[in-house]
Formats: sequence, C-alpha cells, structure tokens
Amino acid sequence: MKKIFIIAAKELKSYFRSPIAYIVLVITISIFNMFFFVLINEGQEATLRDILTIMEFMFIFIIPLLTMKIFAEEKQTGTIEFLVTTPTTNTVIVLGKFLGSLLFFTLLMSVSIFYYIIIEIFASPDKWTILSGIAGIWLEGVMFVAIGVLTSSWTRNQILAAITSYVILFLLFFSLSFTEHVGGNAAILIRYFSTKTHAENFIAGLINTVDVVYYLSAIFICLTLTRLSVENRLWR
Amino acid sequence: MINVQNVTKSFNGIEIIKGVSFEIQKGEVVGFLGQNGAGKTTLMRILTSFLPATTGKVTVMGKDIASDSLAVRRKIGYLPETPPLYPNMIVKDYLIFAAQLKDVLSKDIPYQLEKVMAECGIEHVAHKVIGTLSKGYKQRVGIAQAIINDPEILILDEPTSGLDPVQIQTVRQLIEGFKGKKTVILSTHILSEIEQTAQRVLIIKDGRILADDALDHLLKTHHGMNLEEIFLNIVKRDSNPTILKKT
Repeated sequence: MKKIFIIAAKELKSYFRSPIAYIVLVITISIFNMFFFVLINEGQEATLRDILTIMEFMFIFIIPLLTMKIFAEEKQTGTIEFLVTTPTTNTVIVLGKFLGSLLFFTLLMSVSIFYYIIIEIFASPDKWTILSGIAGIWLEGVMFVAIGVLTSSWTRNQILAAITSYVILFLLFFSLSFTEHVGGNAAILIRYFSTKTHAENFIAGLINTVDVVYYLSAIFICLTLTRLSVENRLWR
Repeated sequence: MINVQNVTKSFNGIEIIKGVSFEIQKGEVVGFLGQNGAGKTTLMRILTSFLPATTGKVTVMGKDIASDSLAVRRKIGYLPETPPLYPNMIVKDYLIFAAQLKDVLSKDIPYQLEKVMAECGIEHVAHKVIGTLSKGYKQRVGIAQAIINDPEILILDEPTSGLDPVQIQTVRQLIEGFKGKKTVILSTHILSEIEQTAQRVLIIKDGRILADDALDHLLKTHHGMNLEEIFLNIVKRDSNPTILKKT
C-alpha cells in the first residue's frame, strides 16, 4: 500500500519536472476561467452547467497528453525493467502510476471548486446540483485517465499512446450522435456506452447508481487490462 | 544458490533460449560470454523475473522464481544493459525511490544511501540531475541502484558497454569490490572483462551453453591459448556441439 503512494508521489513530481505540466495547467485553467466569466456574464445564471460541459469536452483533448508518458516513457527509456524487477507487484505499479495521474488531473479539476465558491458568494445556486456536476465530471475524467494509462501500457511510443486514447475517447464521447441513424437495441447500447449520457445526468443533479457503476466499472476494467498488459510484457 | 534447469524461452514461436541448465554457487563471479544476440540478456531477464521462462525451472536460494517472484526479487540487484535511470530525477531522489521500492527500511535508507554512494563514488553528484551526468556516472548510478538494498546476488548486463577506458576501469574496480561479498553474474562480449573479473565462464551461442567452466581450468586445458582464442575456438566448433562440463 505504501508503495502505491511512493510511486504516485514520484509520478506527480515528474509532471512538475517538465515544463509541459505548467503549460497545460496555465493554458487549461486560463481557458476555463475565460469561459466561466463569459458564461456567467452572458447567462446571468447561478449554475456551473455550461462550464462543466466545456471542461468535459476539453478533458478529452488534455488527458491523453497527460497520460501518454505513464508507461510508454518507461518502456522507451528502459526504466520499466528496473520497476518490474523490484519486489513490487504489477498491481501496485499500475495503481501508483494511475494515482499519480489522477492527482494531477484532480489539481486541474480543483479550479471548479473556486467557481462554485464565487457563485455561492454572489448568488444562491443549487448547491447539490453543482456538486453533483463536479463529482460527475471528475469521475468521467478519472475514467479518461484510466483509459490513457491503459493505452500507454500498450506501446513504447508516447504519440501512439495519445492517438489510441483519442480514438477511444472520441468513440465514447461522440458515439451518441450515431443514435439518430440507428434504432432499436443498437441505439440503447450506444446510449449506454456513451460517456456523455452518464455525465449529463450528473450535471443535471441526478446521481444514479447506473452512472456511478458505469464509470467505476470502466475504471476497474481499464486498470485490470493495464495490469495484464504490464504482466504479459506484450510490448516487448 | 541459483539453479537453472532446462530453461527455454520462445518469442513468437522462435526459441531464443534452448534448454539451458546450470548452477551457480554462493560468492561466485560468473561471466556470460557470447556474441550479440546469443541470448545473454534474455537469460538475465529470466533470472531477474523480468521475463518468464517458456519451459524449465529457475530457483534462487531455494525459491522458485515463478511462484515466489517477489521473494526472489528482494535478493537480486539488477543493472540492465541500458542503465534504468529517470533523466529528470536528482541522483539522491532516484536512489531513495529505488530503496523504497526494494523494501529497505526507512530508518536504514540514509545509511544505505551514504554507503552505496561512497562505494560507487557518486557522493559529489548526489544533488545533480541524472540527465546531466556523463555516461560513466550514469552507469555508476545504475550500479548504485542495483546494490541499494544490499542484495546477495548481483546481475549486471554489459556493465562497461559504451564506456571509455577510464570509465571501464572504474566500473571494473567497482565489480571487483563485490568479489567474495556477493554472487555476481555479468554478461559481456568483451573478453578482457571476463578475464579480469570472473572466476567462471559460461559461453553462450544461439541460446545454448557451449562451455561452462572455471576460468583457470579453461585456460589450463587450452594450452597457450588466451580467452579470445578459446572463445573463437569453441564458437567455431559449434557445428558439432559438445558441451564442456565444469570439472
């Protein structure tokens, strides 16, 4: 258990040892801030609904950039050989790396708490709807991180890892538009697998077991597959 | 101490290691000698449990490497062919990270850190970023991480590869310092390296062991020949392979 935090701390620190983390943080938060003030100014509504939808959309593009190095870089530099020959289980390695990325993503997401505080000071928002929305987008982002960690474990090429993540995330996010062209069970299936369906419920203030199970099971499946990928050394 | 029985390793149906068996006793310094692509690295990766053997059995200090992998990994220090270093990390932080992952007790880490940095002569670069170090220093940091938990077995894959003569000398002295203290397995295709550091030689070609003998005995039985000539002689004779057993 302790090793999970040791690996996570090392991962988190590694983000801040390169300029990419600062660039991502500054650019992303600046864009979020800009949209937040424009949306509040235009809509005059005490809600975070629109800014959370924008955050959700932007995470599709940002998260693969944050996770692409997680395993791919280790394989590229050969440090994976050090990592997996220490007395550390593959599960601990995967969880530690996932937690490191998750913490960085949470840092990025934490800006939404400030938006809530600002709205709370100047208006009377529906507190639970906002908190449900933040929790939903966070959970969705954690799933994106898990997908990024998985695709990073498939290759030693960081760009390829990011592209694979994009393909999966685009399918999960934009698949909802296909429901107009297909009907019946296919549409039901697409609606269930689309991440947008579940995130929308959270943003609307609805916390359903189905949505929570969707995200948690997707995270679990991705991490299990990552562990198998690391174990099988298929990327050799 | 290390027992390898009939180990094979295949990748995509191609057999890289072909039924290798040998035993290594405590305190021995054994050199794996072979051309590039002979299977030295694959064999070392199996011993360190980085790769599982396709068939066969490996035990380290009586523990099966497949079923008791974590216990075995605690006993082994490993330097892969490319030193496994994080270029953005500071040397000291990297060694602390390695110590933590290798189950060194928190209270023992400062002592172990000081000890290995002194042994490897890297005290004055302790606060430098790894990426800024010369190749020789990187190799020493790589060796430092391998011995940070004071392992009983040390596996070094091409420890002097790509170094200049001065750096080779330094790393060689470092390895010689382990003689009698640790069981050392090192792989190389540099014959002088084996002559100067190893007590026993395993000559490997195409995934098979062609010779397994004490270095002194090997030199004695091949009158007047140096190790290079012996190596070439054995490798050429491989068309009619006869394994020379250790006496």
